Amino acid sequence: MSDHAAPTGWVGRPLKRLEDPRFLRGRATYIDDLALPGLLHVAMLRSPHAHARIQRLDASAAAALPGVAAVLTGEDVARAMPPLRPLIPIPNPPRTYPLAVGRVRYVGEPLAAVAACDRATAEDAVELIRAEYERLPAVVDPERALAPDAPVLFEEMGSNVLWHDTFVYGDVDGAFAAARHVVRERFTIHRYVSTALETFGVIAQVEPGTGLVTIWSNDQRPGLTSGVVAAALGVPQNRLRLLALDIGGGFGNKRKAPYLILAALLARATGRPVKYVEDRRENLAALAHAANGVMEAALALDGDGRFLAIALRDVVDEGANLQNPTLHSLLKLGNIVNCYRIGAVRFEAYSVLTTKCPSGANRGIGKPAMCFAIERLVDLAARRLGRDPADLRLANFIQPSELPWETPVGASYDSGDFPETLRRALALADYEGLRAAQAAARREGRLLGIGIAAAIEPGTSNLSSYMLATGTGGTSGVGEAALVRVELDGSVRVATGNVASGQGYPTVVAQIVADELGVTPPDVVVSPWFDSHENPWMFSSGSFSNKFSGTDTGAIVGAARAVRDKILALAAHLLEAAPADLELRDGAAAVRGAPDRRVTLAQVASVAYRDLLALPPGAAGGLEARYYYVHPAATRPDAARRVGVQLTFSNSAHVVAVELDRATGALRFLAYAIAHDCGREINPLLVEGMVHGSTAHGIGATLLEEFVYDDEGQLLTTTFLDYLKPTALDVPPFRVAALESPTPRTALGAKGVGEGGAIPSLAAIANAVEDALAPLGVTLPRLPLTPERLWEAIRRA
Amino acid sequence: MTRHAISVSVNGAPRTATVDARLSLLDCLRGEWGLTGTHAGCEHGVCGACTVLLDGEPVRSCLLLAVQAAGARVTTIEGLAPAEDLHPVQQGFWECHGLQCGFCTPGMVLTAVDLLARVPDPSEAEIRAALAGNLCMCTGYENIVRAVRWAAARAREARA
Repeated sequence: MSDHAAPTGWVGRPLKRLEDPRFLRGRATYIDDLALPGLLHVAMLRSPHAHARIQRLDASAAAALPGVAAVLTGEDVARAMPPLRPLIPIPNPPRTYPLAVGRVRYVGEPLAAVAACDRATAEDAVELIRAEYERLPAVVDPERALAPDAPVLFEEMGSNVLWHDTFVYGDVDGAFAAARHVVRERFTIHRYVSTALETFGVIAQVEPGTGLVTIWSNDQRPGLTSGVVAAALGVPQNRLRLLALDIGGGFGNKRKAPYLILAALLARATGRPVKYVEDRRENLAALAHAANGVMEAALALDGDGRFLAIALRDVVDEGANLQNPTLHSLLKLGNIVNCYRIGAVRFEAYSVLTTKCPSGANRGIGKPAMCFAIERLVDLAARRLGRDPADLRLANFIQPSELPWETPVGASYDSGDFPETLRRALALADYEGLRAAQAAARREGRLLGIGIAAAIEPGTSNLSSYMLATGTGGTSGVGEAALVRVELDGSVRVATGNVASGQGYPTVVAQIVADELGVTPPDVVVSPWFDSHENPWMFSSGSFSNKFSGTDTGAIVGAARAVRDKILALAAHLLEAAPADLELRDGAAAVRGAPDRRVTLAQVASVAYRDLLALPPGAAGGLEARYYYVHPAATRPDAARRVGVQLTFSNSAHVVAVELDRATGALRFLAYAIAHDCGREINPLLVEGMVHGSTAHGIGATLLEEFVYDDEGQLLTTTFLDYLKPTALDVPPFRVAALESPTPRTALGAKGVGEGGAIPSLAAIANAVEDALAPLGVTLPRLPLTPERLWEAIRRA
Repeated sequence: MTRHAISVSVNGAPRTATVDARLSLLDCLRGEWGLTGTHAGCEHGVCGACTVLLDGEPVRSCLLLAVQAAGARVTTIEGLAPAEDLHPVQQGFWECHGLQCGFCTPGMVLTAVDLLARVPDPSEAEIRAALAGNLCMCTGYENIVRAVRWAAARAREARA
């Protein structure tokens, strides 16, 4: 481990972003900025009920409205396509479609879609659709949904349980029997989501004659989505051209194949291009929520405060999600021991359907809740034992000398220094000083609290882990693809299967390729957009699970080195030298020690593409390579069901100080210190920006954000007036320290960072609030810790 | 639906359109005049992504009808600086990594331009208060605050 090593090349430098000027000038192209001749606009009729039978759906008046080109109902869609293909299929999944058929199962579920000359006309038409419902009982609470007499969403399933399984690793019962202390807590996890500022959108066009379907969208996982959409439309994947433009934030939420399919069906029905862009209410009610649930957790400790075992009963409320259920559980399982030397694990997982918005991927998927549970248990244990919470963590961390460390569930921690990370965060926050200030504040009756959380922040999901839930193969490992091409004039172009939504890929990819080819980052143009007919890609292509550092770097380096070898071979021929004697620098290949003997990339490319008879006899032309990188650490689950659910392991520690206002319950941050380690940082400026942003996301989730459903399943938070996001006044200034423990498991030693701050921040702030409330002897309210809830807690004292 | 002929000075150039009374200024800028740098984030006046300057004052173009802008001067992100230049606030966002996905950026930049026009040397608290009507989901605001400070410092140097 070291602090930032001095970079020898472009990788490691805090370069400002190459792509920024067009964003700053308002010249980016987001999905809603694209207009096509004859474009139709879509509006949807959405369910006002949580659970109801559709008795009657009459769209004739809507279809007759001038300007309306087509109306589709669920029945129409079910005739036009096979059922949706889930990513993670449970056995015998119910048949579902992009529009509800026969029954609606959450408020906001679409029943009908109208395509019209403009959005306002489409919305007028939606109001003319006559729908009659027979209301059915809602089921809002996931534990209630487990009950034998609970209303069932899909009668063909017989119950609401999508998945129930128990995993045991090591002697859990023995550890709990021998434990001197056991801390138990029941955690209620709430619903929230990242709410990218740009909502989900799509434009679809079907070419008459050939049937070629072209879809532009801001879907962040095109590799996965392509297959789902092609199967639904009944077209081979070579006749589906899927594109992604600039994406206004993703965070896992930007995936909705059903909307792509629906737009394509409307384009087919009308012969015109069709656009659908969610409004914010649709986005909040129906895109995806991070799953809520109940976590009953227990930590066993010996007499010295050593952690022996952890047991978790985890009920995940998937809402009406049949596309990718169990994801939250799998990622919790992979991360269950956090940074600690815990030898035994029991994990009982339930994935349960309720009449709420489908759950979906959201910054960290399940890991913020898992970190919350274990880091709250550690604080409760510290209190029980009368230990300082920092000391108890330091006494239980896996030590750097013990890495690589295999956790009981099969995660293999690659690099890092967990104790030093915490010590760095404590120093940054002036922990001793804060404790002294706290003692003084308490003497004055003020409520000042200090909270700590340590976290593993894993990246790069191994899709083999789905087998734990599905029991079937066919999808395994994880990879990414890249293309590097030196153009005829010597300039360099790169494309990958990933899509950018703010991470700065056009810059970091250019930094990586510049080092490999001996040019500068501005010499390298990285395609900002994805096009399935141009970019190289595979099933796992796209933006998810912090995978850029784990897989994309490998693909980019692999392709760049293949091009480099071609350049060197051709330059060696032109210079009559051995390739091993050449180096690439300053845009040219030169003989080492004889810099005058050089050929520029333009000269080499000119031979490769134009002056073909100057090529070595029999040599192929072109200066281009594609590389399909497969992460080497991925395995399938073994006989004991151990598997690396994720493959790289960044880590961090957050130290937070807050003061609560006794009169109002208002919370004020006094300090927010973050020490983190994501291995080698390709661009420290961009890394720090993601640390700030992901931490702010956790702050919003902890203090403000919650999707509130009433007992009838009505969603009460459908605008930013009642689903509150943190503003510049709610987020404190951050103090950040970066450690760098390069991993041997990725091409450049980098590890994932984008989700990082969103994982420990909930626990760190909650621990600080509980510490503030400690003198009052009241228990911590459930999240989010709104002023109202804090005021109630203070008042109860 | 009544339709109205309007003319608006947008980024210094006259623009005209015949619009439905219910068309928002946001949709008019984007749909009628192709100025897609102004973004729809919530369409209920909370997020600030659609902020433009109307006669020099920041407004939410999603809450304003196009007809209400008739005869006014509107500045959008596209008109903040000549084609090849960046306004100091835009430059500050670039230097300080004040944007990630970029969707909130036009509204943030215009709000910051308005702040610096009124308060040339704002404190951190003043910056945060001024930006509190604009949501950013990516940056955690820290680098946006730095960007505004950078622009203020640049203006200070220019005055010195």
